[in-house]
Amino acid sequence: MPGEVWVYAECRSGRLMDVSIELIGGGRRIADKIKAQLASIILTDNVGYLANDLISYGVDKVYTVEHPLLKLYQSDLYTDIICKAVLQYSPEILLIGATSIGMDLAPRVAARLKTGLSAHVVGLDVDEYGVLKQIVPGFGGGVMAVVTCPKAKPQMATVRPGVLAKPEKTIRRGEIISIKAEISEEMIKARTLEIIEEKPLGKPLEEAEIVVGVGLGGCKPDTFNLIKELAETLGAAIGGTRPAVDEGYIKEDQMIGQSGKTVRPKIHIALGASGAMQYMVGVMDSKTIIAVNKDPNAPIFKMCDVGIVGDLNDVLPRLIEEIKKLRKN
Amino acid sequence: MPFDFTFTPEQEMLRKAATDFAERDVAPRVEWMDETGETPTELVRKMMELGFGAIVIPREYGGAGLGHIARIAVLEEISRISPALSFCLQIVHLGQSPVIYFGSEEQKKKWLPGMAKGELIATCAVTEPTGGSDVLGIQTTAKREGEYYVLNGRKCFITNVHISNMHGVLAKTGEGPKGLSFFMIEPNTPGVKPGRRENKDGLRGLNTGELILENVKVPRGNMIGGEGDGLRVALTAISNIGRPGVNGVALGIVRRCLEEAAKYSKQRILYGKPISELQAIQWYLAEIYVDYETTRLLTYYAAWLRDKGARCDAENAAGKYYSVEAAVRCAHKLIQIFGGYGVMREIIPQRLLRDAEVLCSAAGTQEIMKLVMLRKALEYSK
Amino acid sequence: MVKIIVCIKQVPDPKEFSKITIDPLRKTIVREGIQSIINPLDKHALEEALRIREKHGGRVVVLSMGPPQAIEACREALAFGADEAFLLCDRLLAGSDTLATAYALSKAVRRLKPYSLILCGNETVDGSTGQVPPQLAEFLEIPHVTRVRRIEIGEDEAVVESMLEYGYRVVKVKLPAVLSVVKEINTPRILSVFGIIEASSKKINQWCVSDIDASIDMVGLEGSPTRVTDVFTPEVKRRCEVFSGPVEEAVGKAMRRLHEIGVF
Repeated sequence: MPGEVWVYAECRSGRLMDVSIELIGGGRRIADKIKAQLASIILTDNVGYLANDLISYGVDKVYTVEHPLLKLYQSDLYTDIICKAVLQYSPEILLIGATSIGMDLAPRVAARLKTGLSAHVVGLDVDEYGVLKQIVPGFGGGVMAVVTCPKAKPQMATVRPGVLAKPEKTIRRGEIISIKAEISEEMIKARTLEIIEEKPLGKPLEEAEIVVGVGLGGCKPDTFNLIKELAETLGAAIGGTRPAVDEGYIKEDQMIGQSGKTVRPKIHIALGASGAMQYMVGVMDSKTIIAVNKDPNAPIFKMCDVGIVGDLNDVLPRLIEEIKKLRKN
Repeated sequence: MPFDFTFTPEQEMLRKAATDFAERDVAPRVEWMDETGETPTELVRKMMELGFGAIVIPREYGGAGLGHIARIAVLEEISRISPALSFCLQIVHLGQSPVIYFGSEEQKKKWLPGMAKGELIATCAVTEPTGGSDVLGIQTTAKREGEYYVLNGRKCFITNVHISNMHGVLAKTGEGPKGLSFFMIEPNTPGVKPGRRENKDGLRGLNTGELILENVKVPRGNMIGGEGDGLRVALTAISNIGRPGVNGVALGIVRRCLEEAAKYSKQRILYGKPISELQAIQWYLAEIYVDYETTRLLTYYAAWLRDKGARCDAENAAGKYYSVEAAVRCAHKLIQIFGGYGVMREIIPQRLLRDAEVLCSAAGTQEIMKLVMLRKALEYSK
Repeated sequence: MVKIIVCIKQVPDPKEFSKITIDPLRKTIVREGIQSIINPLDKHALEEALRIREKHGGRVVVLSMGPPQAIEACREALAFGADEAFLLCDRLLAGSDTLATAYALSKAVRRLKPYSLILCGNETVDGSTGQVPPQLAEFLEIPHVTRVRRIEIGEDEAVVESMLEYGYRVVKVKLPAVLSVVKEINTPRILSVFGIIEASSKKINQWCVSDIDASIDMVGLEGSPTRVTDVFTPEVKRRCEVFSGPVEEAVGKAMRRLHEIGVF
């Protein structure tokens, strides 16, 4: 039987990060394919119900490490514990969520274990030999590469949030193995003193289910008012292109794309955006893309699901009407 | 003439510095400059801090000594965003050049280090209401009084007059071509009065105006060269720094025309397709491209000659003549490409045309350029 | 502060990313003819190093691993104000993944002792992994912090702010350490003419694998546990159902289609 598939369960303030739950879904699929066990490893000051939650999401085993010093992420301690656990249990694969902490932790772990690590994975599969195929973006998303780690173990990857599907909780059995943490304060050389949260006003773009993107074509006062009305009707967050920021219609932190945010909403509505690659890389993972543009040759029409050719000032009022009608029914 | 058209790493880095400065710091101010006609003095200061004023001053006097090709690269990149600010810089260099070319060792040591740092900025005041091309007709006088010369007169169309603290002045010490002398007036000299600010329709934000001199006492030691050398000093400066500078600014305009034309024609849809697919527009684009390549080659060729130490008055004149005509031509074509939008104040094409027009009589009129080139043309009769 | 080492990488200019093509046979990226620049975040790292030098003294030394053309990036870094540059250049280094790169850099850094601080950009615009700085720290057995947006230098330690998705964490880190910075940390200065001419009198040292006493089996392709087995441009599989014509019709048809496919 091959070694286990491990997924790192990141928790902050006693809550499991969404990506860690998504990893269980993906990890389950991979573990089943290579007929291995799926395990989670969690480091915290208080496990509480978290281990049981992890099992109900689909893992067969949970390795828990509980210690007061682990309350906040401490890279020296977390790296030490995970590496020692890996050396002890020899998992085949280790998946970590590509959060800011995951990206701080995973490379160090991989270096200590002298194994391969790929970053921001957007696609994951495993072949019959148990070789993990990791699809990673490069050059701002314009190029994709398939990366493998043929010899070194464990095969490691950091997976982007929103790529794997979150599994549902079910009633399952699993094993909880508690690992003793042999750690001390002296080991900490980079000490996290505190964590300060800064929740943004309104719904952050990355969490919105519907995102409206404003392009240069929407940068006129009356047109923008219509766009705002559409967003309000749909309860959508507003983002946009670099030109829209330059024109002053949206703020810098609403910018989507290569040098801005990446969004993965259910619906993305691009209004007056031509479809330049620098913008599209930020919305490519949307489930459905709707585009409105008056230029029939705009590149975005080759990158959307449903497109409407027309002037925003004509299309938007009718669109808003239709949506309101649907809502009523 | 085997040519190597590659820029050196220093020249590339300098170009990058100018591009970054122009795109980051200058671009946000361009509209304001055009609307108000005000000079952004903090940008002038920034240019001096970045050392753009030190480019042609030799190293031994605190300058960068990077040469004329480097100078053109900087002027081009700044002009691409703001021809007005680029022209301001080129005149900063012009103000230094009489000292660089004809200054005594003492004068160089006295002024060049301060000029390199941008602490001293000098005008080059030649033109008067009586004429610019007719330089022998100037009326400003410099009367010798013991250890001093006393200057009286009035100059006009002087660039940077209100932001300079020194003035290089051409004045009459006698009659005829040998009757002109060139003086450097130091900061805080009494009697120096920058006058009316001129309200130009292009290169707005470039400070030009009158300079009034009322009994200005200038020490003998501030004369560049000797009595009677003035014409040579002024014309050398204008030919070697002034004209190439206009060239560099015009090149920036032509390049911007090409960029805007290409961008717009790919975006603008008429008859269901981008206008870049319409033959009439394609011809404009090709013509602008030819003008760009020719202007670029002429400009850098003349700069290369200068860096080699060769006399290149004809080439400098040819460059200025061609580049300014090209700038006007290309800007006019750009307006045609933009159609009605081309003459809207908020959009760039009309501003490029206005800027290009003002360049026409800078550093000598187009007609004077022809006279300069004529001498070279006639040499081929042998 | 005795020495601050800034790791820089020469990368293709993001403005030209659309020109990048893939060699279908060799499955590699074709970068010819594309302008190279210093990785933007590395510029922020260099700027921070220069500011720390202004406040606390010390020398700023730039270290880069790359092909011979990377010497231009080194020269530019010197023109910005770095005191000396070291270019790790060797055919044997080709094909290095982040682990092999971090190893090679660590061997070079060991030759640069003593040092107080190592600054890097958080990630590059081409690979964007962000993995090298933590791995470099691991090889050097010193602490690291990523996504740093603010640094306060103390006696033997620094207090930094490391950005989270929403908010940040405050970290006290013992020096020497590796800090990788994000763009929020500062605005890099513009090259100045004086910097450019001073650069010509500064030294660029070129090192090869033997100069840094690196094991051949830990660098290059050999030293890379990961392999790239395929490179491709992502295919956009969208429905591309576009509706035009009179606005009422077009919008109506579009809405019906959206309803059919379960969007609205």
